Amino acid sequence: MGGKVTCTLGEIKNRADFIVYWGGNPAECHPRHFTKYTLTQKGKFVPNGRKDRTMVLVDIRETPSARAADIFLQIKPGKDFEILTTLRALVKGHRVNEASVAETGLSIEQLRDLADRMKQARFGVIFFGMGLSMTRGKHMNSAAVLMLAAELNAFTKFVTMPMRGHGNVTGSDMVMRWSTGYPFGVSLCRGYPRFNPGEFSTVDLLVRGDVDAALVLGADPGATMPQPGIDHLARIPTIVLDPKVTHTSRLARVHITTAATGISAPGTVYRMDEIPLPLRPALVSPYPTDEEVIRRIREAVAKKPAWAQRPAAMAPTN
Amino acid sequence: MLRITGGKVYDPANGIDGVVKDISIADGRIVAAVDGGRVIDARGMIVFPGGVDIHTHVAGAALNFARAMTPENHRQATAFLHTPERRAGLGGQTPTTFATGYLYAGMGYTTVVEAAVPILSAKHTHEELRDTPIVDKGCCVLMANNEIVLDLLEAGEIERAKEVVAWLIWAAKGYGVKAVNPGGVTAWKWGKDAKTLSEPVVGYSNVTPAKIIASLAHIVDQLGLPHPLHLHCNNLGVPGNVATTLETMKVLEGNRAHMAHLQFHSYGGADWHTMRSEAAAIAEYFNAHPNLTCDAGAILFGNAVTITADGPWQHLLHQLTGKKWGNLDVENETGCGIVPYTYKGSNLVNAVQWAVGLELLLLIDDPWRVFLTTDHPNGACFWRYPEIIHLLMHADVRRERVKKLPAKAQSRTTLGDLDREYSLLDIATITSAGPARALGLANKGRLGIGADADLAIYNEKPDGELLFRYPRYVIKGGEIVVEEGEIRKMSEGREFIVQPTYDGAIEEYLRPLFQQYYTMSFENYPVELERLEGADVRQLDGHG
Ligand SMILES: [Zn+2]
Repeated sequence: MGGKVTCTLGEIKNRADFIVYWGGNPAECHPRHFTKYTLTQKGKFVPNGRKDRTMVLVDIRETPSARAADIFLQIKPGKDFEILTTLRALVKGHRVNEASVAETGLSIEQLRDLADRMKQARFGVIFFGMGLSMTRGKHMNSAAVLMLAAELNAFTKFVTMPMRGHGNVTGSDMVMRWSTGYPFGVSLCRGYPRFNPGEFSTVDLLVRGDVDAALVLGADPGATMPQPGIDHLARIPTIVLDPKVTHTSRLARVHITTAATGISAPGTVYRMDEIPLPLRPALVSPYPTDEEVIRRIREAVAKKPAWAQRPAAMAPTN
Repeated sequence: MLRITGGKVYDPANGIDGVVKDISIADGRIVAAVDGGRVIDARGMIVFPGGVDIHTHVAGAALNFARAMTPENHRQATAFLHTPERRAGLGGQTPTTFATGYLYAGMGYTTVVEAAVPILSAKHTHEELRDTPIVDKGCCVLMANNEIVLDLLEAGEIERAKEVVAWLIWAAKGYGVKAVNPGGVTAWKWGKDAKTLSEPVVGYSNVTPAKIIASLAHIVDQLGLPHPLHLHCNNLGVPGNVATTLETMKVLEGNRAHMAHLQFHSYGGADWHTMRSEAAAIAEYFNAHPNLTCDAGAILFGNAVTITADGPWQHLLHQLTGKKWGNLDVENETGCGIVPYTYKGSNLVNAVQWAVGLELLLLIDDPWRVFLTTDHPNGACFWRYPEIIHLLMHADVRRERVKKLPAKAQSRTTLGDLDREYSLLDIATITSAGPARALGLANKGRLGIGADADLAIYNEKPDGELLFRYPRYVIKGGEIVVEEGEIRKMSEGREFIVQPTYDGAIEEYLRPLFQQYYTMSFENYPVELERLEGADVRQLDGHG
């Protein structure tokens, strides 16, 4: 099983009367989410805005987002998968083991109430954050929340959306998909795209020390990667393109200062719902754009003779 | 400059049926004669106008969603290796953009129309089309569930609706108007559908699917768009939907319309067990109504990925098959659903579907009005077109295949009784000349003086499935892009867009609605012309 049942953010604004945030803290991480898209906006079919909507927050601790919620459900760390699976069973009217429910931090009454509210919503949505997708269970948790939302469509309209953030990560994902077929973790070493997260993802390649040069663009892995990965970046020729000094630029062999995208460089950014927005720069920068630097590097590389033999035109793999 | 000598030319638009004649090319066009330049000796070969795909899904949010959903398919796909001339990529069910250009060109196709573009994400579609090399392109823009348009129809403001449609086409940088399951996708936003043409759409009291269809067809004709309303009917894929399709065609009387993937709309029976072909009934009506064109939307057995703006149908398909389900509703405008699917020859429903696609192609007697498509990647991948061509040209091969279908399926179709065989001229018509004419692309699909120099040259023998699979040469805009089965030149295609006339005041009407209903500012909504590469803008003066 798999797939995703989702929508653009305007659908939430116009229709959602039941909104769940799970494993995320939008009040601090996506500060305009409530006011632009989900809670306070008056929508076409929720004309009274906040009054027409119910918000539930599910998290392991009471963050500032809890103040915005009608219902806050504090769960035990690492129990997301169990709770989601129990909810899937309750939604379908299956029996659940009440003893194991006790370990999740919620009571069976709380879970029943949540399942009933989900089914009774006119249009429900679950936004899930890294507190769900990057903790114990990881992609199994994401799969469980996607399944729950899909199955709720047997009763009402229900969608789900990951709370992605930070830079243009969705835009990169989109371009990788249309040019290689895969969103990330792509290797082009054999001359065509291959995908294997865990093997070809940046973090794994660096931690294993498999790469002998790195070009870092629009990211600061020096701040977020496991230490062995950071150590390897410092060991190899690392080139950083960034408007400002970052953890990575400090350990890089070369830092090329570029114009800040959206401020002094134009471009396109994709929202978390995969809708593109044009960026119109307000200022002029003395620095080149990322695009210009990459283009010039590419032109210089293209002038060099090919290092490998020219492969056959098409290599059918089946 | 280029001269092609000694080939047998098939040029339906000029009534040339297998005549040996030379073709001269200069500056990307076909000319009367050239002095010097390369000569291609085409003796023993047949020369066709480059293929034109009137309905395919090769770019944009829905297809890119499907790519992400099916990594397991990509592993079995043909790999395109990076070379100094060519980008890397993958073929398969949902090819990457660069591979899409190579695969179409590699089959002799030089123009493709992406058939379902939401305006909200049209920037994304154009970005992908820009990365789709060689072929020329155009887009049909989704309108039949646009709530601003529907609200105007509810209020009876047809004149203003026309202005809005004109503005939206230009905002999306589209070429045509697409209607998908009129009213049904907007109903799906509440988990409902539009199953009959005459009942009001959920959330409306005066708007019915019939009204949406008639109004949009009328508006498209009034605006003078080169391509008529491109329509995906209600009740796609459902047994017994022949009644809806016939009723829809009646609603369209007095206007032009293109009926998309008609195969999916030509079924009889009351349920999945009693499903049968009604291709004959559809073809009979269609033959008598020259205001209509259609494409087949044929299916072939094997793996496919179904992708359509028809959200409710995809939910049903997911429930029927238990396969993965992707759904993406687009605010105020449309939606889309994605379900991977395998068509099996042993399955009664799939067997009937396979027969219906071929029956329509054989029973509709004017090849200028029925075109070869598989609704890629819904019915089969576009790179499997040569398999369908082979079946159309050989009644004996069809009969052999029919005999292998389940006995029950054989009794639900007349395919085995059809003797018609397509000629090479007919094939050139349904793959090139016909769709070019239906699209209003005057310089495509023909080989006369002044036409775009888009040609496909095939070996005349052997006559078999392979005939149309590997062209010897493909020429696009006067350049040899494929030679001996290899991509030789990665040229960039053009993008056809139309600019209908509208009153600028319509923006003042739309702006406050945007503030209210959208999550994007009005200024950011239209696709900037600079975003397109090789934009070929046609100004329209039609205004009633
Ligand atoms: Zn289609």
